[in-house]
Amino acid sequence: MKKLFLSIGIISVLGCLHAQKKIDFVEYDLPNGIHVILHEEHSTPIVAVSVLYHVGSKNEIPTRTGFAHFFEHLLFEGSQNIERGKYSEMVEKNGGELNANTSQDRTYYYEILPSNQLELGLWLESERMLHAKVDIKGIETQRSVVKEEKRQRVDNQPYGSFFTEMFKRVFITHPYNWAPIGSMEHLDAAQEEDYVNFYKNYYVPSNATLTVAGDMDMAQTKKWIDYYFSSMPKGQALNLYRDFLALDDDAFDKKYALSKTKFDAKNFLESSQLEAKKLIAKYASLPIEIKRTEKDKTQLNGVTKDIIYDNIQLPAIFMGYKFPEQTHPDSYALEFMNEVLSGGSSSRINKVIVEKKEMATFAFSFNYGLEDAGIGIFAAVAAQDISLDSIQFEFDKQIDLIKSSLISDDEFMKIRNKLENNMVETTTSIEGIAERLADNYVYYGSTNRVNTEKDLFMKVTKEDIQRVANQYLTQNARVILHYLPKEK
Amino acid sequence: MKFLVHSLFILFVSTSFFAQVDRSIMPKPGKASIININESQVFTLANGLTVIVSENHKIPKVSFDLRMGSDPQLEGDLAGLSDLAGSMLLSGTKSRSKDQLDNEIDYIGANLNADKNSIFLSCLTKHIDKGLELMSDVLRNASFPQSEFDRIKKQNESALLSTKSDAASMAKNATVKINFPAHPFGEVMTEASLNAIKLIDIEKYFKTNFTPKGAYLSIVGDITKAEAEKLANNYFGSWSGPEVTQADLTGRNKNAGNRVIFVNKPGAVQSVIYLSFPIDIKPGDNNQIPLTVLNGIFGGGGFGTRLMHNLREDKAFTYGCYSRLNITENGSWLSAGGNFRNAVSDSAIAEILKELNIITTELVTDDELNLIKSSMNGDFSRSLESPQTIARFAYNIIKYNLDPTYYKTYLQRIEAITKEEVQQMAKKYFNVNNCNIIVVGNEEVVDKIKKFDADGKIEILDAFGDYKLQISPSDISKEELIERYLSVVTVTKSAKERAKKLKKVKTFIRITDLSSPTIPIPLKRTEYWIAPMTEASKMEGQGMVFQSSYFDGSNGFESNMQTGKKALSSEEIIVKKKSTGLFPEMYFAKNGVNYEVLGIENVDGKDCYVMKVTDETEENFAYFEKDTYLKVKTISIQKKGEEVQEASSIFSDFKEVNGLLFPHAISFSAGPMTISGKASKIAINEKIDLKEFQD
Repeated sequence: MKKLFLSIGIISVLGCLHAQKKIDFVEYDLPNGIHVILHEEHSTPIVAVSVLYHVGSKNEIPTRTGFAHFFEHLLFEGSQNIERGKYSEMVEKNGGELNANTSQDRTYYYEILPSNQLELGLWLESERMLHAKVDIKGIETQRSVVKEEKRQRVDNQPYGSFFTEMFKRVFITHPYNWAPIGSMEHLDAAQEEDYVNFYKNYYVPSNATLTVAGDMDMAQTKKWIDYYFSSMPKGQALNLYRDFLALDDDAFDKKYALSKTKFDAKNFLESSQLEAKKLIAKYASLPIEIKRTEKDKTQLNGVTKDIIYDNIQLPAIFMGYKFPEQTHPDSYALEFMNEVLSGGSSSRINKVIVEKKEMATFAFSFNYGLEDAGIGIFAAVAAQDISLDSIQFEFDKQIDLIKSSLISDDEFMKIRNKLENNMVETTTSIEGIAERLADNYVYYGSTNRVNTEKDLFMKVTKEDIQRVANQYLTQNARVILHYLPKEK
Repeated sequence: MKFLVHSLFILFVSTSFFAQVDRSIMPKPGKASIININESQVFTLANGLTVIVSENHKIPKVSFDLRMGSDPQLEGDLAGLSDLAGSMLLSGTKSRSKDQLDNEIDYIGANLNADKNSIFLSCLTKHIDKGLELMSDVLRNASFPQSEFDRIKKQNESALLSTKSDAASMAKNATVKINFPAHPFGEVMTEASLNAIKLIDIEKYFKTNFTPKGAYLSIVGDITKAEAEKLANNYFGSWSGPEVTQADLTGRNKNAGNRVIFVNKPGAVQSVIYLSFPIDIKPGDNNQIPLTVLNGIFGGGGFGTRLMHNLREDKAFTYGCYSRLNITENGSWLSAGGNFRNAVSDSAIAEILKELNIITTELVTDDELNLIKSSMNGDFSRSLESPQTIARFAYNIIKYNLDPTYYKTYLQRIEAITKEEVQQMAKKYFNVNNCNIIVVGNEEVVDKIKKFDADGKIEILDAFGDYKLQISPSDISKEELIERYLSVVTVTKSAKERAKKLKKVKTFIRITDLSSPTIPIPLKRTEYWIAPMTEASKMEGQGMVFQSSYFDGSNGFESNMQTGKKALSSEEIIVKKKSTGLFPEMYFAKNGVNYEVLGIENVDGKDCYVMKVTDETEENFAYFEKDTYLKVKTISIQKKGEEVQEASSIFSDFKEVNGLLFPHAISFSAGPMTISGKASKIAINEKIDLKEFQD
């Protein structure tokens, strides 16, 4: 439940490839800034509701790392109208499933429900967005749960720390420096105002994309969205409302120079007293400025080589290169290049390093594209009695080869076919479609990219692949990590 | 005027609209959709192959899932054969090397997988012919080359190694072995069985089991029945093979009372615990759905189950406690449990037993029943999104002889289940007093879990679920054993002769070259001894000394790169002082060493006397081969706080040096770490300079 964006499986899903069949959708903005995307499809009587908040670990302050992911856990706790612990139960009781994940760039929540429960899904997400509620017990429980999660997924997982260790060294100045799971000490140090501020700054309509996909009636869905989401306060009026709920009268009065009694508690936005109306109108006109991070254009400075001791049986090597952000035009050629090196059993790395030379039990490479920058990783777990240096030597030979000569026509066709197949695969589930629609809108500013992305891949030439290999696989600027068994 | 009315109207509507938003109540569901399950098409080829077609044109892809119909068979000394054969199936064909095959699959962007019982292909519709050409080539002409056999065997060796430190695999092995004796489910690959498997066994397995008779081909996706029929005939119509193999699959464990099965995992801080028992039910049985409902309430569902609520939310014994119900054609069983810290291992067993009891004796609540019904309802509906599900339904209906309306009426049958029926299932299937209680963990929990065993005798298994051999009584005394051992290694006939011979031995040096799969550099260990009781040793590699030790008869130190240099504690000095001489056994009696002979145990096929030596810091077990009296193995167990560290050494290649017998090969292991090597030098009475240890 509430999983982190950490597994290699997820990383390698190429993020965002698309189908041959066009995906139809409708999109529009609500007055308070929520972007809505609707995709209607009736093959199965189920519907997916998701909200993407454009906030991830890169928006954290360096003394509160892990906060975005921790906050995701807290937002399952309940709301003004949902008791603690009932959020998940309501979904499960009604035949649905739910989950969420947090990456460096965004936090994503979704429910998959029988289609007659669509309104329930919309209500649940609107509660989360408008007035989530977290008490001390919830915070303490989730703190332990997140710690267990870190033990299970990172500390207790062989090589589980490589992600953190690699990012720490590849991103020196950018907040990609730390992983979404973050620091447990930081979570312990978090204060109430941290929670309040994070919610007020990032969990706001203008930072949210609501997607509904599946078996629905378009007109009815729009009505419900209007009802539950358009009705949310605009701009800073939302945070005024949240303060109205959270602060006592004195504190509220002190902050806003107006007593809480002037507002209609049952119907805040429609408070009848003039002073209240004025204040709401004033705050509604103040936009919420969301602090964005900058693209990381810096280069790695030389070769960083480190040894990490872990509870493992076999040594492993990880090499990291700085790649451009996922929206960069070169990212298509880089993905192509990665397929040549590591896509499938017949790829160069698997054939040579794993099968022919039997130097590694696993060896692969993958690209990890993010909003502000990317990273290319080569990884291998050594076979018995094989040194990591000799594996690195083989990796380097493969890198030299792809830099010095064009890939063959056969390889080129093979990768084109493979990419085409992958693109089809990602459109098999309704939830998968919802997620890709939202990602394309938020990262690329074009929801319709789900339908055009294939063309971008098909434009890549053999020369492009050689060029990006030379440009980004910089042997004199990279990070090399050796994982060795801890001495017992 | 008209305009004004209009805008006023809008104003009115929007105001009252906001006023009406009532968020305080959970929305009611709309009218439930009727769930349509698409029909599959079924036909049979002349060679006996049954073909199931499930059309779905949402995306331009097709998959072909070919499953064999033979029963699983006992493999005996070759346990693991079928798995090994499955992983070799894609190693090439008569006309395609493995490289060519891999390349051609990747070239069309297809997936082609195989296991012991099936071959699976999925590809874009436009590549269907090429895909099937490759799939049927593997099916007809798989070539099983020796080089791939060697490579895959090596991979399996590493996997078996890691089993020994993986509590979850150990628990799984013990569970299947205990639940299913004399049944293929109860067979587990070991180092010995892997070693015994020959390439010819793999070929034979493939020939016998991959046959169209009784096999099923499920075709799912962007294809019509007519196309499917044509392709099935083209590619699989002329495939032939023997009759399906049937096997006796009745082997089940029958308990009289609860049994406690323990597997030792030195150093464990958590126990993996499963309460498990076989269940007499087959897929499609009328009781399958109500039994699934029962298990869902007990521990099979999400966060709201009884086990989760009691052992995690209430007692905080664990991160998760679940029960899994496995219903298969060839054998069914239930396992309930999870990971529990050592201190609460016994309480956890007691609570799970308690929950088993309650659900058998008391009716479940309406809330519980409704929650599981809704959640099963949702699971079922969501699963229909995948065309694979539809094909699986058709397969199950034919294979298990289900009513053709089985899945169409599935939801109605869930709905109709009553609390009384759920209790009936518990009474019928939950063996409250005949549980196998499997515990993989630290020895310290053993005493506390004995009480759950009906006869108080815990059964102890190894990592692969085999019984740890029992020790039989020794036929000689501890003094005799030492006497015979010393005679052999010193090549002497009497104590007097021995004393005289060893008096002449003033110094001893042994240098051993070592290597380890987990350490990337070669290592060298040097040991020194100077009469009567000075000793030193060091371990070095690539010019660095990783570890060293020194004892001058009254004081000394131990030093390693991580913790630095540490003086010997008073306890350690006492131990050193008792362990005098080149062969410390000579002075056991004189030095008052606490030792005993435990008996005779079979170690790797040879009977050995087991001697236990207990001192202030650790317990040592020495194994003397019964035929030769040579010391071939030692195990030392050290307890440091909560953690138990176990290290074992195996000695071989005994050769004479200056009339004394020394092992020249050693293999040492501790936890996941193994080091082994050969002595490159053993010398007696050479001059020794210990200056490097003395500063």
